[in-house]
Amino acid sequence: MSTPKAARRLRYPVSRYDQRSAMLFLVPMMAVLAVVAVFPVLYSFWTSLFDLKLTRPHRVPFVGLDNYAKVFADPLFWESAARTASFTVMSVAAIMVVATLTALLLNEEFRGRRVLSAVLLVPWAIPYVANGLMWKWIYDSGYGALNGLLYQLDFIDKYMVWLGDADKTLALIANAFVWKEVPLATILLLVTMKSIPADLYSAAKVDGANVWKRFLHITLPSLRPGFALVIIYETMMAVRHFDMFFILTEGGPAEASHVMAWQVYVETFRKLSFGTGSALAYVMAILTFVLAFSVIRTVGKKL
Amino acid sequence: MSTLKAPFAGRREFLKAAGATGTALMLPGQNAWAADPINFFAWSAGVDQVKSHIAAFEKKTGLKVNYNNAPWAQYRDTMVTKFVGNAPIDMLWVSDSWLPEWVDAGWLAPIDGYPELMKYNADVDDFCNQSVRYKGKQYGLTYYSDYMAFFYDESKLKKAGIAAPPKTWDEVVQQSLILKQKGISEYPLMLSMARESWLIEFMSALVFSNGGRFVDDAGNALMADPQKGAHKALQWVVDAVNKHKIVSPACVEIGELNGLKSFTSGNHAFAMLGRYRVRTLNDPKQSQIAGNAKQALMPAGPGGSHATVGWMRFYGLTSHAVKDKTRAANAVKLMEWFGGKADGQYAFQKLMFTDIGSGFGVKSLFQDPDIKASYAKYSDIAMFEAQQKLARKKDVVSRWFGEWDEINGTSWQVAILGKTSVADALKKSASAWNDLKKS
Repeated sequence: MSTPKAARRLRYPVSRYDQRSAMLFLVPMMAVLAVVAVFPVLYSFWTSLFDLKLTRPHRVPFVGLDNYAKVFADPLFWESAARTASFTVMSVAAIMVVATLTALLLNEEFRGRRVLSAVLLVPWAIPYVANGLMWKWIYDSGYGALNGLLYQLDFIDKYMVWLGDADKTLALIANAFVWKEVPLATILLLVTMKSIPADLYSAAKVDGANVWKRFLHITLPSLRPGFALVIIYETMMAVRHFDMFFILTEGGPAEASHVMAWQVYVETFRKLSFGTGSALAYVMAILTFVLAFSVIRTVGKKL
Repeated sequence: MSTLKAPFAGRREFLKAAGATGTALMLPGQNAWAADPINFFAWSAGVDQVKSHIAAFEKKTGLKVNYNNAPWAQYRDTMVTKFVGNAPIDMLWVSDSWLPEWVDAGWLAPIDGYPELMKYNADVDDFCNQSVRYKGKQYGLTYYSDYMAFFYDESKLKKAGIAAPPKTWDEVVQQSLILKQKGISEYPLMLSMARESWLIEFMSALVFSNGGRFVDDAGNALMADPQKGAHKALQWVVDAVNKHKIVSPACVEIGELNGLKSFTSGNHAFAMLGRYRVRTLNDPKQSQIAGNAKQALMPAGPGGSHATVGWMRFYGLTSHAVKDKTRAANAVKLMEWFGGKADGQYAFQKLMFTDIGSGFGVKSLFQDPDIKASYAKYSDIAMFEAQQKLARKKDVVSRWFGEWDEINGTSWQVAILGKTSVADALKKSASAWNDLKKS
């Protein structure tokens, strides 16, 4: 029979052995992560400290934080930041409303619910590029489906300019983005709705609460975790969103859809200025982090 | 009875052959097949034609060619990355827009020292020769060149009772208003003003035909000058969209390809398009206006001419290739085979023209009976040649062209949308040019 002291002695090496072997098993994955994630992140920061332009390969001076100063001094950066904020607010608000209504609908029992649920997933299943091209056709001012539909319904008497109208561009891109993002948001909210105990509704009914009151006092508060998740995720997606801007307008017309993600692309891949491009990408990443952190602190705190 | 004899019947013969092959492979320059292949990079246009011409070259010279290509849209980025990574490229296709940038980066080598290439200059259009020169040196031989052309739909003009196509931009307005009033076309002129690489070609054609310049010969910004600059051209576009309403306000979202589709679908009476598009315009399988699409000289603005912009793509020799004499000599042979004469004729230009309608910068090809016969099927070669003689290279090609082009394109769009005045838009463009030139 072993004494407690002996048992401790026996347990200690075993646990140390487990820890060591666990670390050993993790090493390959950590090495891969270090190469494909950590190194590029650090290297891009290093790059942001140089005036690195691919078309001027023989002169790459160290400029410290000058690239960051240049970014903040550029009025276009602030304009694109404002446009990004506007796009994000528009998109996230619309996603929240549409996804909540759709989730409420799908939470009810009715004929064809399963078919509707399956159809709902279609936009989510379409790749961003295909989605962008589809909306480009829909919005086309010459032969687009939107003009065709509105014209046939007598809402317009001649074809309208959509993406080419600087006042409408951002809202139209947001619409295409919302269409793509609503399914995931709906699923997240629907899952949260399904977890609300049915007893709460039964008790409320007994107490005489009508549908509206049940929604206001039971459904909405219970949806908070789902809302928090959707707001955080969709905010980050909207701030970083690039694909639709690339496919639908390439930042135009004029600068109507020149958002931050587009500016990073132009700086890095069109001007081939990797120094300022990296600085811009870092600024954008930090802003996204700060935004996500504040959303978590405000919305997530109430979970 | 005959028997099939093995090439190396015995052990002794096999060893002899193996030894001989090994020795040959170890002696550079002694055996053409042992030499490194010529590395040729291009964008993915006319791939089958390029491959067949390479096969003929390999057969004739015994030299091997390693041919690779990338899509046009990613070509510049791909090549810049390859150059930075010291990829072994000997000969490649280059756009005139990238010439200063690539020369200043040290990636392209001049060809002035190769008389077998330089002799072709005499038979090449002036704007093409100018397009391959930078800082007094020549950097290539023409692969393909073309220009911005003015097209009209003859049937629509006849329907409106208009006897001849417009000769001036004022006549374009007048005829368009007639077409509009008669309900023949809502927006008679198709202009593509979307922000893409085509935009500078459209803008340059408008500016040149209005007698203006973006920059002078010394590279100083002229675009904001009301008389000598781009003012008249941009003002004309702004008026065409907002005042006369003869150009769709959607022009800022219409790229060249969509513009072509719109014109071929019969929505417009006039269009500015790349000259080579005439083949599509008059192809009944692709166009509703087939047989009616005609080319006219670029309309002239007040004080302007029928000038247009021409562009040029050429074969460039890399600095990597000229580091080694044999490598350079082989690449030059390949360059002449493609950009000059192959077996006594401009075989590749002819092949590209007859197969896919690509334009050429070689003057004597306008007299070639095969080319004349081929072009007569869908357009008028005399007009093709007459306008090409009036083509001019883009004056804004510079090391900072790409960056300026982004800003200038945006400025034009802002003015077209009525968000700023023409003068302010061009001031912004000029100021960006001056800043970039200084940097």
